[in-house]
Amino acid sequence: MRALIIVGHGSHLNEDSSLPVYEHAERIRLTGEFDEVVECFWKEEPSMRHVLDTVESDEVFVVPAFISEGYFTQQVIPRELGLEGPVTVKGDKTVRYAGPLGTFEGMPDVILERVEDLMRGRETRGRTSLVLLGHGTDLNKNSGGVIYLNAARIRERGLYDEVGVGFLDQEPEIGGVVENADADDVILIPVFIAEGWHTRETIPEDLGLTGEVTHLDGKRVFYGAPVGTHPSMANLIVARARETEPGRETQVV
Amino acid sequence: MSRAATDAAAAREAFAAWVEEAGEGGRVFGQVLVRAPEPGLFSLRHVEEAGASGLKLHEDPREAREISKTTEGGEYRPLKSSPNLRRGWELRVSGAGDLLVAMNYLYPAGVVHWHLHREGRLEVTSYRENAARQSGIYKRVQRLSDGGVQDTARACCEDAVCLKKTLWDVDEDTPLGMDRGDGEVPCPEPCSVFVSLARRVRLFEREKKRDLDAIGLSPSEKEDLAALVEAAATGHVEFAREAEFEKPLNERRMRYRRLTLAPKLRPGA
Repeated sequence: MRALIIVGHGSHLNEDSSLPVYEHAERIRLTGEFDEVVECFWKEEPSMRHVLDTVESDEVFVVPAFISEGYFTQQVIPRELGLEGPVTVKGDKTVRYAGPLGTFEGMPDVILERVEDLMRGRETRGRTSLVLLGHGTDLNKNSGGVIYLNAARIRERGLYDEVGVGFLDQEPEIGGVVENADADDVILIPVFIAEGWHTRETIPEDLGLTGEVTHLDGKRVFYGAPVGTHPSMANLIVARARETEPGRETQVV
Repeated sequence: MSRAATDAAAAREAFAAWVEEAGEGGRVFGQVLVRAPEPGLFSLRHVEEAGASGLKLHEDPREAREISKTTEGGEYRPLKSSPNLRRGWELRVSGAGDLLVAMNYLYPAGVVHWHLHREGRLEVTSYRENAARQSGIYKRVQRLSDGGVQDTARACCEDAVCLKKTLWDVDEDTPLGMDRGDGEVPCPEPCSVFVSLARRVRLFEREKKRDLDAIGLSPSEKEDLAALVEAAATGHVEFAREAEFEKPLNERRMRYRRLTLAPKLRPGA
């Protein structure tokens, strides 16, 4: 039997944080690719510490629903789940640990799908800038690095006049991204796993956004939903799991 | 089948059998009454509504997640074993597998831990072992005193606020002094809500050493008292969210104050 465990951060304060994990799990359950699809969290139950107790399968795939490689994916998740590396044998269970979602090569496609959702029925005019918004932190360069990585991958496709980045907790700050965009239309996509305080409050307040479309500094600013709640993230989670299987490293999406 | 796989699968079958063996009265697990009106068919509802009619009927075991997500007042439930499961629902499922799916949303990992505990094989992790693993903003819980652990457990884990039976101790030589609870759902290790409160209590311990005023009150104790007085004076004390321990009017934080602050305010009482 094969089990997929999706690891989310979760929250002690609201349901927003874990919701996409539950939704993606349900989408994957319906595909029938895994005998079991189980959610677990850092801040909610079941905890990472106990989730393996609930799984019957002997082949277990663990996929972190996190954007970047860092504190959680490198330290907290392996420690709490008792993982020793990409493959850990625990009793008769073989546990395969996948990388985070944001660094995956399929991520730019999901970001562009988010743009498509936002711009459906709307036409851009003049120069267009796509700006990816991330959390970022000066404590770990991977957090911002994953945003730069995706911006570079999208830039290579030549779809926009410019592709920029902005962060909550490091330079360049989100507050300046519209002003600094050399464009008539600016499309902002938050590269976050869930809706929450940052996507609903901090980012709109930093920029003075009033909804999906705001006119600022003579520019039209389009603000999309977070990438992590997009239904296609479920495919990314499955692809991340498949990638960990021997001989399947190259057979991703 | 692996040993671990056997555990999860055996727990599923053992739980269904335990319910079926109970006859009409069913079994109580946390706040859920589980009955088997006929073999292989299970009916779940709030324990206080054993004889109620007109309950909203659900037949998809995964709807248990929505049932367990918020209180009757619509507040988010970060800890599923808090005694605030909402009422007004009945969940009917068939088969031990669907029963387990539902139970795992109502009491995550509760059934497998119940099974392992009955068999004497549940691994228990003490507070000190758990704290030793913590990192980042939680690393400071390693310095929480034994007394602080005891008070945090009384504030956070007694049946008034959590229905799990607390199996862990401060360390292997220092048992918890609290009433561990009578319920069927075992607690083999401090949970993330506990660790979060422990972090707050450690912050209180630190300030006590350096910031006590002339009558022995710490800044956060005075903050909590002021918040209480101001709230009570409006005639309506609005509590902070269940795991919002940085806010003065949090129930578990107040329970901790009852243990540590009330005796200071009423010496000799």
